[in-house]
Amino acid sequence: MPAADTISPLVAGLWLLNIVLDSGGQLAFKAAAGDETAGDGLARWKHMAARPWLWLGVGCYVVEFLVWIAFLSLVPLSEGVLLGSINIVAIMVAGRILFGEKLTRLRIAGIALVTLGVAIVGLGG
Amino acid sequence: MRRFYLFGFLLLMGFDTLAQISFKYAGTQALPVEASLAWLLRVFGQPWVYGAIVGYVGAFFTWMALLKHAPIGPAFAASHLEVVSVMLLSVWLFDEHLTVVRVAGAVAIIAGIVCLGFAENSEHAAVPEPVAADS
Repeated sequence: MPAADTISPLVAGLWLLNIVLDSGGQLAFKAAAGDETAGDGLARWKHMAARPWLWLGVGCYVVEFLVWIAFLSLVPLSEGVLLGSINIVAIMVAGRILFGEKLTRLRIAGIALVTLGVAIVGLGG
Repeated sequence: MRRFYLFGFLLLMGFDTLAQISFKYAGTQALPVEASLAWLLRVFGQPWVYGAIVGYVGAFFTWMALLKHAPIGPAFAASHLEVVSVMLLSVWLFDEHLTVVRVAGAVAIIAGIVCLGFAENSEHAAVPEPVAADS
């Protein structure tokens, strides 16, 4: 494999940061939306706006937007979107750990296949 | 109703694709990457970044509208299958190559997404139909 095709530390760092921000954002929104004491309608939005979760989610997404632009400017787009698919896996694993969401057999198969595909693209250059 | 779903899924894929293509153009025009105000100004100083925002916002509202009516499994799959359209367009727009490695990776990822789509579906459709009483 030619050296130019291997993933640089900057690209790897941006990729990892994207995973952290994407999962962090989704989990923060989940925490904001899942608050049972929030009430309904406008009151619910006020309740959420007065707590950090919603804003943490927004902040994660804003930074992720920039990180993703930087990431894609350094890798071919066709490779970048494939590597980015790992976010699907990260969020399901995080949902399992933090919210006890079920991992059915079909889900595990899906997670394994997506991970395999990302590994092929990432390691195969 | 089928046609409505199909149109919705295609629209969602279109917005997602627009976003990714725009991200790529925006990033390329803002090179080199650096953690600086200059980079931010380069990113927001050209139109493509706004294409990315339009794509994101459009995808968000299409997704919300779809979820009201469409089963979540196919909707989930459709919302991630833009990898296919983005890959094909990057060959055309950015002179990229569909290498064996990328195609192999894409096949595995798409198979995984389809599995996850079916997983969502079977979970949300798990409300059992009332069984016809045995006579």
